[in-house]
Amino acid sequence: MWPRILNTLLGLWLMISPALLGYLGQTAADNDNIVGPIIASVAFTALFEATRGLRWGNLPLGAWLLLAPWVLGYDSTAAIVNNMLVGACVAALSLVGGRVEQQFGGGWSALFTSDSLHAREAKKQDGRPS
Amino acid sequence: MKQDPAIPPGWSYNPASWPQRIPIIVLALLGFGIATYLALYQLEVFPEVWEPFFGGGSRKILNSSVSHILPIPDAALGAFGYLIDAVAGIIGSKRRWRTMPWIVVVFGLAIGPLGFISVLLVILQPVMFDAWCTLCLASGVISVVMIGPALDEFLASLQYLRRVKDAGESVWKGFWGYKSVTEKVA
Repeated sequence: MWPRILNTLLGLWLMISPALLGYLGQTAADNDNIVGPIIASVAFTALFEATRGLRWGNLPLGAWLLLAPWVLGYDSTAAIVNNMLVGACVAALSLVGGRVEQQFGGGWSALFTSDSLHAREAKKQDGRPS
Repeated sequence: MKQDPAIPPGWSYNPASWPQRIPIIVLALLGFGIATYLALYQLEVFPEVWEPFFGGGSRKILNSSVSHILPIPDAALGAFGYLIDAVAGIIGSKRRWRTMPWIVVVFGLAIGPLGFISVLLVILQPVMFDAWCTLCLASGVISVVMIGPALDEFLASLQYLRRVKDAGESVWKGFWGYKSVTEKVA
């Protein structure tokens, strides 16, 4: 739970940091305003166990934040430090799976295979041989 | 021990139960209220819009080029989307993941893209217009919050349709909840 909550907060932090750290109007601000809401939305949706797998989406986004200052050529040192720190945290936290206590019939990958948890359980229920 | 038949096979809970659905319906109605208010401002029914934090931000966003890119103002489209979310959340019993997969798919498809467009609109506010709009942000938060809770039921319906296919039955009939299919496939 905590890795998702922290990444949600880090995404929101990116949205307000251009104003707080004084780099409004620069390329870095646009990048933060684009990446921040996406990180927050992905992290929040991954908070739910059935969609936990979405957490991996924040790995490339965190990695991008590590590269962005150099690819986009940031002027502000505050923006560079902010993006590097936030990027490293987001990427690292996206690797933490956390506990999944519920069962989802084999999850999303079960849609692409015939032999899955939900299929086996369904066969048990209607008592037919597999 | 026989488990509650409303719970999808291989699941530990029923994603279509009312305690699972009611919070999403409440959020959708709240979003509908906010979007309707913003649309009425955009349609000039209200002369002013409530903006406690960002000065002229809401005025700027709600009168922007993007907000009037379609024949109807964007908040009206948002209100319509929330209404579909709420109605698709209400229709059907707690067994609807197999008796009415179509409504669950409509529900999932309405909530997913609406959330996606909301994130896009949240991004465009500062990037294109250097402004924030409080109620637009609130609406964005609501539509993102609904995505996770709604998708588990969507998954249960898709898994059911997969079993329909593997049983050699018509996925089309299963999608519309034909009795001939629901009687044969668990």
